[in-house]
Amino acid sequence: MPPSSTIAVAMRGITKRFPGVLALDNVTLEVGRGELHAICGENGAGKSTLMKILSGVYQPDGGQLEVDGRPADFTGTRDAEAAGIAIIHQELALVEDLSVAANILLGREPRTPLGLLDQATCDRTAAELLAGLEAAIDPRTRTGSLRVGDQQLVEIAKALSLDASVIVMDEPTSALTEAESARLERTIARLREQGRTILYISHKMDEVFRLADRITVLRDGRHVCSVDRRDTSPAEVTGWMVGREIAEHQFHEHRSPGPCLLEIERLCLPAAERGRADRLTEVSFRVHAGEILGIAGLMGAGRTEILETIFGAAGDDWTGQIRLDGQPVRFRHPREACQAGLALVTEDRKRLGLFANLDVAGNISLCSLAEATAGGFLSRRSEDRLVAGPISQTGVKTPSPHAAITGLSGGNQQKCIIGRWLLTQPRVLLLDDPTRGIDVGAKAELYTLIDRLCREGLAVILTSSELPELLTLADRVIVLAEGRLTAEFSRAEATEQKIMAAATAS
Amino acid sequence: MPGTPISRGLQWLRQSEWSLLLAIAAAVAITAVIDSNHSYYERPYESLRDIARNTAMLGIFSLGAAVVIIAGGIDLSSGSMIALSGTVCATTMLALAPAEMMGFKPVGPLVVAVACSASLLTGFLVGTLHTWLITVIRLPPFIATLATLVGLRSFARALCESGTAALTPTKSALINVADPLFKTVRDNVSIPVTVFLLLAAATWLLLSRTVLGRHLQALGGNEQAARLAGIRTDNVKWFAYCFGAMTAALAGLFYVANESVAAPVNQGRGHELNAIAAAVVGGCSLSGGVGTVPGTVLGAVFLRVVIDAVSKIIKTGADVYEGLIVGIVVVLAVTFAQAGGGPRHDRRLLPGALGLCTIPILALLAGSLTAMTSGGWAGVGTGLTAGLLLVCLRIWEYRSRRAE
Repeated sequence: MPPSSTIAVAMRGITKRFPGVLALDNVTLEVGRGELHAICGENGAGKSTLMKILSGVYQPDGGQLEVDGRPADFTGTRDAEAAGIAIIHQELALVEDLSVAANILLGREPRTPLGLLDQATCDRTAAELLAGLEAAIDPRTRTGSLRVGDQQLVEIAKALSLDASVIVMDEPTSALTEAESARLERTIARLREQGRTILYISHKMDEVFRLADRITVLRDGRHVCSVDRRDTSPAEVTGWMVGREIAEHQFHEHRSPGPCLLEIERLCLPAAERGRADRLTEVSFRVHAGEILGIAGLMGAGRTEILETIFGAAGDDWTGQIRLDGQPVRFRHPREACQAGLALVTEDRKRLGLFANLDVAGNISLCSLAEATAGGFLSRRSEDRLVAGPISQTGVKTPSPHAAITGLSGGNQQKCIIGRWLLTQPRVLLLDDPTRGIDVGAKAELYTLIDRLCREGLAVILTSSELPELLTLADRVIVLAEGRLTAEFSRAEATEQKIMAAATAS
Repeated sequence: MPGTPISRGLQWLRQSEWSLLLAIAAAVAITAVIDSNHSYYERPYESLRDIARNTAMLGIFSLGAAVVIIAGGIDLSSGSMIALSGTVCATTMLALAPAEMMGFKPVGPLVVAVACSASLLTGFLVGTLHTWLITVIRLPPFIATLATLVGLRSFARALCESGTAALTPTKSALINVADPLFKTVRDNVSIPVTVFLLLAAATWLLLSRTVLGRHLQALGGNEQAARLAGIRTDNVKWFAYCFGAMTAALAGLFYVANESVAAPVNQGRGHELNAIAAAVVGGCSLSGGVGTVPGTVLGAVFLRVVIDAVSKIIKTGADVYEGLIVGIVVVLAVTFAQAGGGPRHDRRLLPGALGLCTIPILALLAGSLTAMTSGGWAGVGTGLTAGLLLVCLRIWEYRSRRAE
């Protein structure tokens, strides 16, 4: 426990209720000045809610907040900003159509003596802040055209422009590549040199243990413990997060790949806009039944593009050959790919996979509704029977097949989407970063599920932004860099270092 | 989560739809009491007939609007489609039986059938054109159907004038329709009502019990995900826009029958917004994926009952106020639906400077409306009272917030 004079932020006995849920139950947290304090917990543990209370987005139902030893009562984010607290949300809150400078100074735009917008000062201030972050971003670029990693730096610059002494980062690396994460870590180090206090939310243990001074673990809205990083271990923290120990899994042993199912030969995909580099250049690989092929690569390296091209979802202007069972195929619509026995679990679950307006059963049965009809009409009973299979097969935890899908955790939503595709009885399963934004416990369950499906004879192509995941699951790993295949490793050869080297090769 | 499409079947109506039913009953009861002519007591059959006919005519193309909205689109053109459908029907009859049409004589059931089919076919063609503009040319649905909203009415007028110029001695902006089949439809309110109810039943079956219906909801809920799930979204859209345009074409035939004339200048003008309003009052979300047939039917009934109530209460010139009523009903219905969705106890109606400026606006609105319907002094009184009440509300809100 830090001495009270050096406490930057203290939250005591914080309680927050949402309709039907006790999101935070008497949570106490003390953060020392200049400290990097990691807050760990599974999804739904209350991390984000706690931080939203600290930054004035929510008002607590009980408990006290102290900033620099003074009681604070924030009625909105402006109050929190005035007290020197800035938050960088997990979902970036930037206006994509405005310039970088306009976003950084949004709501606090400098004005000329005539009351007009002072564009020059605006750009200069933004440029200074960005330069301080080693970011080569022109403040006049449209924010939407930046890569996610750069957008995050814009958010950080915005926090700095407030001259915040406490910066909250909510899972900042969840959408970043390894290179961008490394840059973020350098930025964090610089912020710490300036004496700023950082609250860092994450469930990535390697990051937490590299960066944090102290670690607080939340579970189910309760405070589990706060410890010095030096006094604990990743396994112990993970255990606190899920309430049980998680064994390290090694799945790929004793799998026996069958015949070659899918062959990709010299696949090229031109750029979507003229004047850009091709999205894929001469990519060739093959996948066997009963095998998991991992695709590694930085964000934008072409992982998603490969899967979408195979699945007929990336337009029709690709060249090269795709052979299924030795027969050349060219799918012009995802429908044709489905019928040929392919399935694609998309990257961005909320945007590309989930139907928030349909219930759990509706989400699962969507691709195989024909099997739930009698005389041309949908029958609720046969639909329920149909979805009961995948619900138990994938282990979806839902109160009822007619529950709202949005009420399920990320892991369970993902299981529903995998279940949707299992109903189509695919032979090739394309998984695009299937565990992104899913907590540790659910990840392990998904790994077991993917391994079982593979053993049942499915050919699986798996992309992931987390290398340990590929090393845990894949039999072989291919590496992409800027749309080119730069390396292929068998499980025995692959290491994180080798893959990173190949992913950053040009 | 309020009513996912599947749990809907478990209860016949959703909670919001029960409230709508209650609101309809309340509107009828209030009108029965306040109306000084007591038309609901003394001429119940006639009153019911008027409301039923108007509801059926609005309801038919409201169902089309609802299907388009549930599929995540919008069709602004249905009012003009109504005019075009009527004009196509009348022009076809004029072309096939010019002597009978000009002599106000029967044209025969075959000619009527051909003319009505031509109208419905026009609906299909317009729906297809919308789909092409939206999926191939990639116009936003709002723009595509805004273009046809203005374009189709103009086209209908041109068709009417050229048609009459070529087929009759004089160019005319309207075509009289005197065939007894149309008169039967006009005099028998049960025909439009039956057509409306059958169409509602079929649409309900479509949305809740067919694969296509589920695909419509999926398309409206998340278009990209629907495509990646192997749904041919362009085909589903094609269906939705054709359904929208064809229901408007069908309604257009009833407009012609009801008024015994095809008048492309004014027929159905602005009615597309009434249809969208009925769907929205009935619980359809303009962001797509959400909405029901019972809700839309009740939305149409509610809109017509309120319009009828006002015309009964203020007696003369009620059609002047129709737009105003629809506007107020939409604002209130959607406000209440949102309030039911999630409790926001910290919500204030008149916050800050915006709230201050809203007080005189609402008071002025209430006062001027009363002045126009019940005389100047009543208006002044109502305006002052409303303003005073709003000031009290503002003070109360301000105090209770400070007390927190």
